[in-house]
Amino acid sequence: MVFLTLSNWIRSRGADRYWRVQEVLKNARHFRGRKNRCFSLAVRSVRRAFVYATKARKAKKRGMRQLWISRIAAASREHGMKYPVLIHNLVKSNVQVNRRVLCDLAITEPRSFLALAALARARQQEGFRAALGDGKEPAGVFSRFVQSH
Amino acid sequence: MSSFTKSAQQWATFARSWYLIDARMQPPGKIATMCSIRLQGKHKPIYHALSDCGDHVVVMNTRHIAFSGNKWEQKVYSSHTGYPGGFKQVTAAQLHHKDPKAIVKLAVYGMLPKNLSRRTMMQRLHLFPDDALPEDILQNLTEELPQPRAVPRKLSEYTQEERQAFPTLWTPPEDFRLK
Repeated sequence: MVFLTLSNWIRSRGADRYWRVQEVLKNARHFRGRKNRCFSLAVRSVRRAFVYATKARKAKKRGMRQLWISRIAAASREHGMKYPVLIHNLVKSNVQVNRRVLCDLAITEPRSFLALAALARARQQEGFRAALGDGKEPAGVFSRFVQSH
Repeated sequence: MSSFTKSAQQWATFARSWYLIDARMQPPGKIATMCSIRLQGKHKPIYHALSDCGDHVVVMNTRHIAFSGNKWEQKVYSSHTGYPGGFKQVTAAQLHHKDPKAIVKLAVYGMLPKNLSRRTMMQRLHLFPDDALPEDILQNLTEELPQPRAVPRKLSEYTQEERQAFPTLWTPPEDFRLK
């Protein structure tokens, strides 16, 4: 059947079975065994694979955060500080550096990380002093958050 | 680190440190946590689970570890041979008597991640029952880690003056019969 008028193109049927099958198999070509060529096997595993991919998009974010945390923990242990202490005191000092950047600093800029660790340590000492009733700031480090406006 | 120019950048140094831990009078669990962190490479900021960046750990004096409480008698190590009636249970004291390295080894093995790299990591753990280390391992050592617990002094290590200067909790009466 030949459509000579453009408006009749709309009425043409969608892709036939071959193309529908190919759409599925396209996503299964790298699978192992007959799953990469037999439609009835492939369609199941493609569906499963898409479910896994959907879940993995969230799990990846979680896993990356876990990795950053374990790397920051390793780097802060090098400076004799536990991870929760570092993060807690950086938050208190209003350092707006997230874990991804902290991790990058720990790997590529150890001196910058050391400075942040020193800041957290100073903030911790300040907190201890405040708790003990002696509210003096530790000498040499400026750790208190200043309102700029 | 994902730019094209830095794609070949290496973080690993392709060298492994060798840590020495003295387990004399130390709790085996504390020793095992130190070991498992270093065997996995979790003490490095470049840690990744797949990058195999763990170091070697040498533990000496595993014969002289110290359990707290009554673990020597009450802690039970269970195993099964796979045959009927093959369920074996030994206390920590019996196991330690049989193999002075076994308790530390099992503690570390249990703390490592349960995956294919566990056996590889265990091969980088070197246990020695006493403080005599072979020469080839002594040459590799890079750092000695501090002990997690302070070793208490024995009564025999105190001098007579120190013993007499020690504060007494109560004064024994005149007719008190010391054993």
